[in-house]
Amino acid sequence: MLAYIILSLILAVAPLVLRSERATNFVAVLFFAVQVIAIAAILHLGLVDSVMLSIFRADSTAITFHVLMTAVLGFSLWHSSSYLKAEGTSTRSYKAYYTLLMLLAVAITCVYYSDNLAMTWVFLEATTICSAGIIYHREFKQSLEATWKYVFVCSTGIAMAYLGILLLSTVAVEGSLDYDSLSSVIAEGNPLYLKVAFLLMVVGYSCKMEIFPLYTVGVDANYAAPAPASAFISTALVNAGFVAIMRIYTLYSATGEVFEWARHVLLLIGILSLAVGAMFLRRTNNYKRFLSYSTVENMGIVAIGMGIGGLALWAAVFHVIAHTFVKSSMFYQVGVMRHIYDSYSINRIGNYININRVGAIGFIVGTLILLAFPPSPLFISEVMIFSEIVSVGSWWLLALMLILMCVVIYAIWSRTLRLSYHSNQDTLHLSAVNRRLSYSAAIVLVVAIVLGLWQPDFLKCVIDNIVTIA
Amino acid sequence: MTLSLIILYVLTLIYLSIAERFRNHTTILALQGVLLFGIALARMHAFHPVELSFIIVETLIFKGIVIPIILLRVIEKTQIKRIHSSSSQFGALVMSIAALVASCTITYYMADNRTDMIFFGVALYALLSGLILIVMRKRIFAHLVGFLVIENGVFLFSMAIGVELPMLINLAIMLDILISILVLGMFLRRMDDDIHTDETDALTSIKD
Repeated sequence: MLAYIILSLILAVAPLVLRSERATNFVAVLFFAVQVIAIAAILHLGLVDSVMLSIFRADSTAITFHVLMTAVLGFSLWHSSSYLKAEGTSTRSYKAYYTLLMLLAVAITCVYYSDNLAMTWVFLEATTICSAGIIYHREFKQSLEATWKYVFVCSTGIAMAYLGILLLSTVAVEGSLDYDSLSSVIAEGNPLYLKVAFLLMVVGYSCKMEIFPLYTVGVDANYAAPAPASAFISTALVNAGFVAIMRIYTLYSATGEVFEWARHVLLLIGILSLAVGAMFLRRTNNYKRFLSYSTVENMGIVAIGMGIGGLALWAAVFHVIAHTFVKSSMFYQVGVMRHIYDSYSINRIGNYININRVGAIGFIVGTLILLAFPPSPLFISEVMIFSEIVSVGSWWLLALMLILMCVVIYAIWSRTLRLSYHSNQDTLHLSAVNRRLSYSAAIVLVVAIVLGLWQPDFLKCVIDNIVTIA
Repeated sequence: MTLSLIILYVLTLIYLSIAERFRNHTTILALQGVLLFGIALARMHAFHPVELSFIIVETLIFKGIVIPIILLRVIEKTQIKRIHSSSSQFGALVMSIAALVASCTITYYMADNRTDMIFFGVALYALLSGLILIVMRKRIFAHLVGFLVIENGVFLFSMAIGVELPMLINLAIMLDILISILVLGMFLRRMDDDIHTDETDALTSIKD
């Protein structure tokens, strides 16, 4: 693990001393290769479930999300190159962007593998710092505003989460904050402390998972960052927030009554996130913010799944995995659109089906998959969550979710049709149509569709592992 | 000794709520760093050179010297002198005292036999004071001060519950916070340069 981190860090900062964009691209390819080799090494050298450097553990959760991150990273690195060139980015900014994206990937990987409550916090805070530079990359007024809000709110939120960790550490034996050692003693903790600690940690980490209450900074960040980086932030970083909360959830599963309370908190957060997502999907006039609110809505569904527990928890993990492919594909498509229209304005751009047919079809199919129409994998996860809600008799929750999801479907579908078939009122840059990128974004979507049609046994086994621990 | 330092710390928080000049805010933060050093030193059970060095770095050097220098440089560069003239000092004082009362009440109900009630209460008061600064003040610099007050409160909180995390983790946490402050300071200066503002009211261009 140490070798992996050192090598990744060296490669991440290497562009800063290189001269050309081409050399930077080469380093990015090497960086991607290191991720693949690291995963292969863990799987083939029998390192699964082993503790590394006493603060990391290569468990099912870590490996699964590392694989997902690597897949998204590969596409993000590729799309970034075209995106930055089309934007006319200077070589200096180009190198800085790649450095920050790779550093962010290292920090996120460390969050996945972290086997220590405090170290998870440390690496999540590190993701804030790396993200800040990426959000500010375009250096316009709104990106500065978004960056300031992101860094400030995340830092304050994560400081609150640290407070929760300190409260939780009152049960720690000899100050050890390893998840395993904490889970064996957590039941002896003061229930009031445990509840306050859970609330503080979930609220703090909500800025990363893009759920209520601190979801706003994530939406602003996705809006300001270049589209391929938004794809990465909206999936890999959101997953890091999910992993952090999932590990706390797992920890609390040993606490009995407090765990019941914690699940209710997650349920409430999930409903509020879904409601906020539905409301703002109707209001926003920007395609990137629109996709970000869709992330809030989907993570709300995940939080509801965690709150319900049982089969819904399995579905929640599957939902996160599927969402990673669908959402990244949609952001890549939006990135291609950006260069054609030079805008993300929902009210102004249109006629996309006649301008870039591949991209438009990719976007329409992506929307259908995002809206959980079969063969979407999200359809499977949502039906599983609904069936679990019915089995616990929460009809009111089912009704509320269905109403909110109808609003979501209307908002998303009407905007997708507008983009494809409504007349365009914005300036067009037809030379910027890049069908190769549209096709590549569609490949990610195909993976999601395959997952919807067929869930391989190893994937089921991995999710079982993640959920069984809980 | 510890009690005197804690009382002084509470007084700095009350003063911070009514101070108008940002230089005074910075001086108070430096003083808080020194007080935290004194408190941490007084609570050391035995002499450990490594632990002592870490306390010196974290409180005296980091909170007492480095951060105030960064803040002073930001003040110098941006020429942000004082809080917004329309801010009510009396209202801020009332809020601060209400926060003190709330902290005492919460501590009474929450603290158990494993926690130090006085530290717990003051840490909570520091957290609430930081949040009040962020909510009540319009200038972004005041928000930065509020964030640092929260960080100091978190430090006190760790002493209240007597948790001793491994050195590596403490070091990583300290570095994270230092870099966050640097990044926030850098962006504050950028905002002053690029959009010529240092007030939150101007940060409303991103909305739906």
